[in-house]
This record gives sequence, structure tokens and C-alpha cells, in this order.
Amino acid sequence: MLMLNNLVVSFDDNVVLNIDSLSISAGEKVAIIGPSGSGKSTLVHHIYELLRPTAALCSQRQGLVENLSVFHNIFMGALDRHSWLYNLINLALPFNKPQLQIRTIMDTLELDCPITQNVVNLSGGQRQRVALGRALFQQQSLFIGDEPFSAVDPIMGQRLLRHVFAAHESVIMVLHDTSMALANFDRVIGLQGGKKLLDCSSKNLNATMLKDFYQLQEQHPMVTKVEAYSKFNLVKQP
Amino acid sequence: MILWLLAGICFYFADTEIIALDPWHELLLIITGFVTPDFFATEYLFEALWQTISFALLGICLALFIGAPLSILYHKPLVATVCSFLRSIHEIFWALLFLQIFGLSPITGILAIALPYGATFARVFSDILRQAPTTTLQTFPSNTDRISRYLYGRVAHVLVPVKAYVRYRFECALRSSAVLGFVGMPTLGFYLESAFRQGYYQQGAALLILFIGLIGTIPFWGRLKLLPLYVVGAIWALPSIPVVDSRLIWRFLTQDILPPMFQSNQLQDALLTDNYGAVAELFRDFLNWLVELLCEQALPGVVGMLLLAVTALGMSHILAIIGSSFSDKRFSGKWIAKFNRLALLIFRSVPEYIFAFVFMLLLGPSMLPAMLALAIHNGALIAFLTLRHADDVPVSSHFNGRLDGYAYEILPVIYPNTMALLFYRFEVILRETAILGMLGIATLGFYIDSNFSEIRFNGALVLMLVTALVNIAVDIVSRRVLYADNNAQSACSH
Repeated sequence: MLMLNNLVVSFDDNVVLNIDSLSISAGEKVAIIGPSGSGKSTLVHHIYELLRPTAALCSQRQGLVENLSVFHNIFMGALDRHSWLYNLINLALPFNKPQLQIRTIMDTLELDCPITQNVVNLSGGQRQRVALGRALFQQQSLFIGDEPFSAVDPIMGQRLLRHVFAAHESVIMVLHDTSMALANFDRVIGLQGGKKLLDCSSKNLNATMLKDFYQLQEQHPMVTKVEAYSKFNLVKQP
Repeated sequence: MILWLLAGICFYFADTEIIALDPWHELLLIITGFVTPDFFATEYLFEALWQTISFALLGICLALFIGAPLSILYHKPLVATVCSFLRSIHEIFWALLFLQIFGLSPITGILAIALPYGATFARVFSDILRQAPTTTLQTFPSNTDRISRYLYGRVAHVLVPVKAYVRYRFECALRSSAVLGFVGMPTLGFYLESAFRQGYYQQGAALLILFIGLIGTIPFWGRLKLLPLYVVGAIWALPSIPVVDSRLIWRFLTQDILPPMFQSNQLQDALLTDNYGAVAELFRDFLNWLVELLCEQALPGVVGMLLLAVTALGMSHILAIIGSSFSDKRFSGKWIAKFNRLALLIFRSVPEYIFAFVFMLLLGPSMLPAMLALAIHNGALIAFLTLRHADDVPVSSHFNGRLDGYAYEILPVIYPNTMALLFYRFEVILRETAILGMLGIATLGFYIDSNFSEIRFNGALVLMLVTALVNIAVDIVSRRVLYADNNAQSACSH
């Protein structure tokens, strides 16, 4: 599904990502871990740009529209399935069919707010689930997530993860929760200072090894610590 | 301080003589009028009110139709230039121009509001849209069509500020619509002018109170859901549109607006017979005519405009500072502050044109009434905006509630904001000085008005162009000077 060779991403002359090779095949469930600023977000955004036609992204920058309802914010995942006229009318007068579909999604995501509630009034955890709902409603085969459960409690995160797995063939997800990565994913990739220092099947890993991986950081101070969240240049070298 | 010095110098050079036989007597009569307003004296009171609203409403709707699509194209230099030209000519001048073509038809009033407002919408909407975050677009499915992307990804983000701005513009349009009555449209201004001119102050006061009430109560009746109802009502209530004689329009465009030497067929004859001497002669005539017009009317007009605008700016500054400090409840106490806020509301709802008109009756025709009118209206508006800011400024626990405490704790925080607003407002003041000329104050508007009334459309048109150019020049200079300031405030000042 994906083959990356010599990927170098830099942002204002700082190299934030430098990966020799990475391949992910369809059907894999891949977790990406690493300390803050190690290039995880940059990597998944890059993968998303490459696989965009078949991938749904649930980004840390949720991209919610504050003054629209939960319904409209989730409906945005289906913009490409309808004509612009349908979308325009739906903005003013929501249609019944998508309302039913989105109610189902809201139930699975345990969102108990009214469907017409504006996003601006929601709590952090609810907002995150609305963003997740938009990604789910895209009904793609690949789900790319950037810490999609960081604002909900671990147990609910576990339930949400099951829904994500059930709805997608392949999953690539940035996680801070290493135990969740170990318990649920086929494969774990560890980034450190923009470099891929860990890439193996989760069967061959255990919690102590991951703890050691995080402690590597103290021995080798990171080359760059750029938060590439706001803007990033993609420089891909062949 | 430099501002005050400049304003003082301009005040010295400006014509501020009070020419009135007995201002106190007249003032007393006006005050009596306001104390005992007569709401039943005007025959067509309700119709005048409804006409004022319907012109404003239809004007705004048409302006939205013009402005919203243009805002998408606003980054194109041609569109931006055309818009800034349309914007720089005041509603009243547009009305004067359209009056010659369409006569006293509703088209004149609606177009006069829609054109400059549409151009303003285009600019402000494009400013607001530029601030919309782009993160939403990233989470859309990849083959979403452009219109849906635009609607859901960008427009949806800015709906609230856009709605607030349209509401604010509707208030402005009500003022403009009322003022259009002064050039003959059947709105409140028409009845107001006739009442005041004839000395029927009780009737005039009633109209003015109604108008202020109308603007003050917009939040109660200006609901989005009622809009379709209002639009139908507005169209239904419009006076019938007289048949426009297309020959008249043709004559206006091909004959009346041309310089006098080109109006007859001399130029064509000369060109056809290859008589280049005659052509050169005609062009020399044209040049002389133009230079004469520019030197004798445009130049004094522009100087008058600038003198008036700078003085008014200085006076607005003083008023804004005084107004905002006395309306701060931590400084002047609850009741004085409340009373002052009401006064500010009244002062900013009344169009400066009407203020100038009333002061003119009192003080006679000079620049003083215009200065006072501009200063009161703009000072009150800036004080109001500053107050909204000042209310959010926290004070320390040992705030003593005296002038020194105010000057140490609150003023330093709000002052930069006030100054920025004041300079944004300068453009508006300049635009307004032009139309105050129609009351007889020696600015460009005065010369334009006299050209129109002497049926010299060509001269009027040249002077309108000069007005537009002056406004655009000031706009460019002020944008350069104030480039770093944020856009949110500029949105309030247009």
C-alpha cells in the first residue's frame, strides 16, 4: 500500500523527519509512538497526503467549524458523496437520511448531546469525538489518526478504538498510550528526533522495552525539537 | 498633541464665523420642539418610516448580491480598484447622479445604497474570509467539489462575524436611507428637512425621536427569520416605478456628461473633414475648461475638505476621550455612566448630516456646524467602541475611582485602541465632509451640488472623480501608516 524511501521533511531549515525506508501494507494496524516533537504528526500528515483518495484523517487540529452543529460537522465527511447543490441545501435545511446515519455514528461514539448543538459549546472530549465522527463518516478503507483519543478516558478510548478497527481495513495511528499500542496493534513504529529507531511487530515487544525506548531520549538529546504542527514544508527526496 | 496642534491650526484657517441673527431664540424654539414633540403633524409619517426601512433593506439585499460574489474575486487588482472607486463616492452623490437618469424612482434610492455598500461588503468579506482557519479543508474527502469545500470549509467559519457586520451595515443603511430624503427621496429625511426648514420644530423633533427609536430598537425587530416577510413588505410598499425614458438615459450618457465643447458635433465634423486645426482648438478649449474647473472649484473644495476633516478629527478625539471616561461606571458612578451611554447612543444614531443641518440653522452657514456635527457623531461612535473595550479592562484592588486612578489604570490600556479607531474613522470623516458641502459648506460637495443644480453634469462628474481620487489617496496613505493594526477594528469603522 505504501512505500517510503529517503523521506526528508524540513521546516525552516530544521530537519523534522528523516526516514530511510518505511513500508506499510494493506490490512495492517500500525501504531506510531515517540516523545513530543519526534515527528509523529509530520509523518502521518505526510502519509495522508500520499494516500489521500482512500484515507480519512482525524487530526489533532480537529478542523471543527465552531458555529455549525454537530450534525454539519460530521456530515462534512460525506461532502464528496453528494452534489454541491445537495450540500448547499443541507447546510440550511438538513436532510433526513444523513441525519439518521449521523445519529447512529453519534450513538457508537457515545455522544449524547443534541444533534443540532453547535460545536462551540462542547467539551474537549466531545469535540474530539465529533472530529472522529467526521473521519468515520468518510467511510474510507484507511484510517489515519493523530492521537484521536487524547481527550477521553482510557476505557472509552478502548471502546472507540474497537469501532475504528471495525470500520476500517487498515489503521495508522499516533498514540501516547504505549499499553494501548501494545495490546491492540499489529506493529509499532517508534520515532526519535525525526528518525525511525523502532519498527517491529508488537508480538516481539513488551512494556519494559518501550520504556527503555522512551529513555533513549535522555541519552541522545534530540537533533531538533520543532513543533511542526502549524505549518510544515514537505521536501521529498527521490 | 500633534493632532491637537494640527487641528488647532486648521481651525484657525477654517471659516468658523457664526452668522446667525439670534441663535439663542432659535435654539430655544428647537428645545421647546423636543420637549413637546408632535407625532401627528406629519401626514405620511408611517409611510415615511416604512419607506426608509424598505430602501435600506432592499439596498442591503442588492448590495449583498453584488458584494458576496465579488469578495471571492477581491484579490484581483481590477476588482479591488473598481470596488474602492465605487466605495469612495458617497451614497448621496450616487443618488444625485441616478436622479438625473431615473428621476425620483425607487431605483435611484436602492442603487445609491447598493453600489457603495456592495463594494464595502466585497472588501470586508474578503478580509474576514482571509482570517478563516484552513484546517477544516484538510479533513475533507479528497474529491469534494469546490463549491462545497468553499461553503463548508471557509464560509461556515465566518458566518457569525459576517452576520454581525451585515447587521451593523443595515444600521448604517437606515441612516443613509434617511439622509437620501434630503435630495428628494420620500424617506424620513425629506419630511425632516421640510419640517426644520419651515420652523416646525415640534414635527421635526417627533421625526428625529422616531428615527433614533427605530435605530435603537433594531435588536428587537431586526430578526433574520422575519427577513423574508420584510423584503416582501418592502417591495410591496415601494412607490410605483415610473417608466424610464431610454432616450433620456442615452442623452445623459452621450451628451450631458461630456464637456461643453464636445457636446455638439463639432469634433466629429472636424475629424471627418480632417481639419486637425479645429480638433486641436477643441482640445485646447477642453484643457482650459478642465484647468479652470480644477483650480476654481476642485482645489478650494479639496482644501476645505481637508481643513474640515482634520479639525473634526481633533474635536472627535477630545469628545471620544471625555465621553468614554465619563461613561465608565468605575470612574463616574453607575447613574452618570448610564445616562452618558444613552447620550452616546443618541449621538451616534443621528446621521452627521442631520446634526450639521440643525447646527446650520443655529449658527449660520460656516464650517463650524459641520465640525461640530462630525465631531459629535464620530466622537460618540469612537467613545462607544472604546467603552466596549474598557469594560473588559480589569482594575487593581486599590483603584481609587478618581481621575488620577482612571488616568493611571484604564486610560493607558484603552488609549492605543482609541487612536487606531480614530484614524480609521478619518477616512469616513473625509467622505462625510464631501457631502456636508451640499448644505452649503465650502467643500467639494458644495461645488458638486451647485454643478448639478445648474445642470452642468459634466462639471459635477469631474468633481465627483476628484472626490473619489482624494478618498482613495487618503485610503492608501492611511493603510500604509496603519498597516500593522488588526482587521477586526477596521471592520467596525467602515
